[in-house]
Amino acid sequence: MAKIMLDVKDLSTKYITRFREDVYAVDRVSFQVEEGKSLGIAGESGCGKSTLALSLMGYYFAPLHYMSGSIKIEDREITSMTPDDVRKNILGTEIAYIPQAAMNALNPTQKIIRFIEDVIQAHDPSKTRKDIRDMARQRFEVLNLPADVLDKHAVELSGGMKQRTVIAISTILSPKVLIADEPSSALDVTSQKMVIKMIFDLMHDGFIRSMIFITHELPLLYNVTDDIAVMYAGQFVETGSAEQTVFDPIHPYSRGLMHSIIVPEAGTRDQKLEAIPGTPPNLKNPPDGCRFAERCKFASPQCCASDIAFSTIGGGRGYRCIYSEDRLKEVYAHA
Amino acid sequence: MKGYKRYFLKKLLWFVITLIAAVILNFVLPRLMPSDPIATITNRITEGMNNQNAVMQIYREYARKFGTDQPMWKQFLIYVGNLLKGDMGVSFQQYPRKVTDIVAASVVWTIALQLPAILVGWMIGNLLGALAAYIRKGFDKVLVPVSLFVSGLPAFGLAVTLLVVFGITLKWLPISGGYSYDLLPSFSWRFIKSVIVHYQMPFWSIVLIAIGGQAIGMRSMSIYELNADYVKYSRFLGVKDMKVVGYVFRNAMLPQVTGLALSIGTMIGGALVAETIFSYPGLGSTILSGISSADYPLISGVTLIITIMVLTMSFAIEMLYGVIDPRVKAAQSD
Repeated sequence: MAKIMLDVKDLSTKYITRFREDVYAVDRVSFQVEEGKSLGIAGESGCGKSTLALSLMGYYFAPLHYMSGSIKIEDREITSMTPDDVRKNILGTEIAYIPQAAMNALNPTQKIIRFIEDVIQAHDPSKTRKDIRDMARQRFEVLNLPADVLDKHAVELSGGMKQRTVIAISTILSPKVLIADEPSSALDVTSQKMVIKMIFDLMHDGFIRSMIFITHELPLLYNVTDDIAVMYAGQFVETGSAEQTVFDPIHPYSRGLMHSIIVPEAGTRDQKLEAIPGTPPNLKNPPDGCRFAERCKFASPQCCASDIAFSTIGGGRGYRCIYSEDRLKEVYAHA
Repeated sequence: MKGYKRYFLKKLLWFVITLIAAVILNFVLPRLMPSDPIATITNRITEGMNNQNAVMQIYREYARKFGTDQPMWKQFLIYVGNLLKGDMGVSFQQYPRKVTDIVAASVVWTIALQLPAILVGWMIGNLLGALAAYIRKGFDKVLVPVSLFVSGLPAFGLAVTLLVVFGITLKWLPISGGYSYDLLPSFSWRFIKSVIVHYQMPFWSIVLIAIGGQAIGMRSMSIYELNADYVKYSRFLGVKDMKVVGYVFRNAMLPQVTGLALSIGTMIGGALVAETIFSYPGLGSTILSGISSADYPLISGVTLIITIMVLTMSFAIEMLYGVIDPRVKAAQSD
């Protein structure tokens, strides 16, 4: 049994808007990531993927607030730690983050090496400038990044180079968990491939020990991650291996999501694309019962009656639906 | 680095072209004023004389001395020739005092008043603005309306208000001059004390207005920068909050540096108001008396000094900007 690097149980967080309204962006999310494994999180825009990424780090500032639940990184509970303790001992060293907009993630008036100094000294003030430069140079070399990037400013780098530099900085302290929030969404396919290859090399070389990969591009997830979780309106609606979730989805939303993708292969032209009608619910007042019921072809009145539990079935799979797996399969066969 | 050098040379060329244009305008414009300063001087000197011939003689003598009997282009060449030797001519009104002496005596007062006032106002304003952006809450709610109110006040309005309140009603501070009338400039304690007391009102009338404008600008720039992606990213890598605030402050400062250059550029405009109202012995008062007596060499001299100060400042800022903001440098080198 592999070691569990990240264990999240019933994590809920919310945004408090400037009009003092609560927006329940992450609702009772649970999952585990084992050592050497990667979890992909899929879902449409606004479903709470990025908020989940921020919530996992145990470091909250307005308007995001922690509500309940536990986050354990290799058996160490981080939600009960003080913010400064989290900052010093967790961020960057245990869990690290690659932001969605890596293009703007670097301070425009600072040389890359100065920022790396700030990051490393925030955790270990005893490191000298020379130590840090050697360390950074070495790591950049391993990752096939030119070392002269260190003495440049962000403006002097190309988009792909900026993104790869951000990845190198995020992982410079060899975190146990890496959260990549759409690290490739602003790049062309060639740079995308380089970036993804780089992240997997990091895992392979042991610089990171597990990973969460967030994207709205399902084909990408299927190709790169071991497991996939499908998120809808702040909740996980289905989890399972990448293969199962993509080719044999249980939840009606996952199924709709998988059917709405075109894969550029022979015969695609004649394939009919299915869209999911409607829009996601407003998370200020999430509906009772199943949050997807309103848009679900197969919904019945009971769906909205009471809270739907997340049921786990064998082989690491789970889903949030009132119907049983067999019942859903039957329904799909007739659809 | 080659691109940056070319940028520097291009800016230097513009600096010289602007300076030449300014010298020509500084010479021509005062002389287009509809008055005859030589006649004014002659009248003053020959008061009570009734020998017309002698008066004409004196008039011609002065015209010859000041060169006003020559055609304009010749006068200009002589002016430029003298300028290159560092000679700005002789004042008509304060004859035989040299313009360079008059300007040298007053420029010190103006710089000593304006530069510290602008710098202090700029620093306090930026500090308050950054704090308001960082703290928000009550501090922000008080600072914004107060800053808006103060920066909206016209310079003369604030100066006169200060003068009435502290000078006339409360009688705490003297209402005019750079020092007491009964003193001569010296390095005595009494003189220095007198200068400091006279300094207060003109100084604060400039500082207060500067604070308001700078605070508002810095506040909105800081709020914008605090929401930038690099702030979030740095925090999530565990970088200390004070360091992150340092990044934000530096980036928010960039437009403020331009603001500082601009306010130093308009220093003399501000000087005119404060110096006139408080009868402060600076460039503002000097140019005002020069204009009222059509003292061409004095007007040209003072405006030339102002032009050089403004040009040098903006040149220096443009050069400095490339050093403090790598993005600008990248653009400069293109």
